[in-house]
Amino acid sequence: MKTAQTTSATDHAKHRQLNGWRVFWKVVLYIVLIVSVVSMVLPFLWMITTSLSDNRYAMTFPPKFFPSSLHFDNYVKIFTNDNLGLYLRNSLIITIPAIIGQLVTSSMAAYAFARLRAPGRKILFLIMLSTLMIPGEVTMIPTFIMFHSLHWINTFWPLIVPNFFGNAFNIFMLRQFYMSIPLELDEAAKIDGLGFFGIWTRIILPLSKPVLITIAIFTFNANWSNFMGPLIYINDPKLYPLALGVFSMTNTGSMFTPPQWNLIMAGNMLLTLPMLLVWYIGQRHVYESTNVFGRN
Amino acid sequence: MAVRNRMRRKETAFFYAFISPWLIGFILLSIGPIIASFFISFTSWNIFQPPTWVGLKNYTTLFQTPLFYTSLDNTLIYALVTTPLGILIGLAVAVLLNQKIVFRNFFRVAFILPSTLPVVAVTMLWSWLLAPAGLFNEVLQLFGIKGPAWFVDPAWMKPGLILFTLWTAGGGFVLFLAGLQGVPDYLYEAAELDGADAFTKFRHITMPMLSPIVLFNLVTGIIGSMQTFTQVYILGSSNSLLMMVVYLFQNAFQNFSMGFASAIAWVLFVIIMLFSLLVFRWSSMWVYYEGEIKR
Repeated sequence: MKTAQTTSATDHAKHRQLNGWRVFWKVVLYIVLIVSVVSMVLPFLWMITTSLSDNRYAMTFPPKFFPSSLHFDNYVKIFTNDNLGLYLRNSLIITIPAIIGQLVTSSMAAYAFARLRAPGRKILFLIMLSTLMIPGEVTMIPTFIMFHSLHWINTFWPLIVPNFFGNAFNIFMLRQFYMSIPLELDEAAKIDGLGFFGIWTRIILPLSKPVLITIAIFTFNANWSNFMGPLIYINDPKLYPLALGVFSMTNTGSMFTPPQWNLIMAGNMLLTLPMLLVWYIGQRHVYESTNVFGRN
Repeated sequence: MAVRNRMRRKETAFFYAFISPWLIGFILLSIGPIIASFFISFTSWNIFQPPTWVGLKNYTTLFQTPLFYTSLDNTLIYALVTTPLGILIGLAVAVLLNQKIVFRNFFRVAFILPSTLPVVAVTMLWSWLLAPAGLFNEVLQLFGIKGPAWFVDPAWMKPGLILFTLWTAGGGFVLFLAGLQGVPDYLYEAAELDGADAFTKFRHITMPMLSPIVLFNLVTGIIGSMQTFTQVYILGSSNSLLMMVVYLFQNAFQNFSMGFASAIAWVLFVIIMLFSLLVFRWSSMWVYYEGEIKR
């Protein structure tokens, strides 16, 4: 009886000691977390506060984090003084058809690779996967020469049309997902008289919504933030998409006129917010559908 | 038999009809340009006049141009510094978020935020933050450190670029966190029975289980950072930040030396392939696959 009591007493002491350590580690953990979260979020907040401040104020030294007065009119100025409304329109003209093109053509190819038997299918699939390894720089120059000879420079075509030929990454992701849809559904649809086209539109596409949304998000992000493409193909400032347009605001044309950083940051916000919004709405589907890489 | 044959032929026709957009794109936008690029790299061509065959001259000139070595050095330094550090940061954030903490979702969003911003916005934001009298140096001042001139001082351009690249690296935690949560508990329990401490468990269970994700990030990270363009282009024309794709861009679309630029593209392609191969070879020494058949 006595021994049992002493062991429980030492256990208790040990437990308290462990608790002490645990509290210590918790404190360290939260300090590390808070310091790193502040360093993650602070630059972003600085973008917001600069975008709302007066330009003379933005240039003061030392910089102050909170502007004394809020200039929401900066967000009006970027549409009236700078051409950001036009740039926004251009970005949408490029991005929306690009998303439609990728969704249709990638899912067509993925359906064929996942479901249709034909001679040459395996080798074509391997060829498609191997194109994932080709860096864009190798194909960039001949592609430019081709579009140049089509007189497509200073048009949106070079930025839109390539999206209508599918994309190996998207095709692969969709194909992996299609492989996980039970074949019995196809068989049942066949008995009901659906052809290959009907199975794709009536069975496969409705079941693959999360992956299609993911591809729409990836395509939106890639085209919305594309900088090099417009830089190569578009010289006319009236045709600039937003990413190039906001960058062009840093060029004031004279060394002695400093760029208006408050307006640039407002433009930055306009460029950033749609991507954040799209990501926030769609993240659930992205996590769900990128799981397909784990299966086979 | 005839019916079955007709069905087969119909299926084949449908297959090729469905892949035709990709197949046409593959010919016109992938394999065609690759072959063309290879031949263009042996010519001198400004696209306004017909090309002339110059043999290996573009390559020999390239290897004698000091600026090429500048761009090569900068590219390699950038890729070899940011990729491993970025992986460490992603892993560290994942370990932090895998603890029992309050407001986990808030922390998740905060860490992912920088990686979801467009590169153009990130670069302009940081060129503003790292201005000689900018907010970053002001914060350093609080700790009594006199900040450098960053993107004004050639010696500090690369550290500045690396700094804000790492700011966006926290988002790499997503894959690692999924990996951490996928490690089966019985492995840790078995190790505890053998008296393993936290560090031993991390070193001998967690790390091997996460090693395939490390490999994936290493390969995609090196390939991606070697193709860096936008950040460097936006930060300015100084050669102290020049990278290979920027050098290629200048030659192709500012000087219209298509042959010379194509040679740069092929050298870059070969370097990327060599590095990927090296990493894969080296990885067999430290990557652990649970489902692997050991020979």
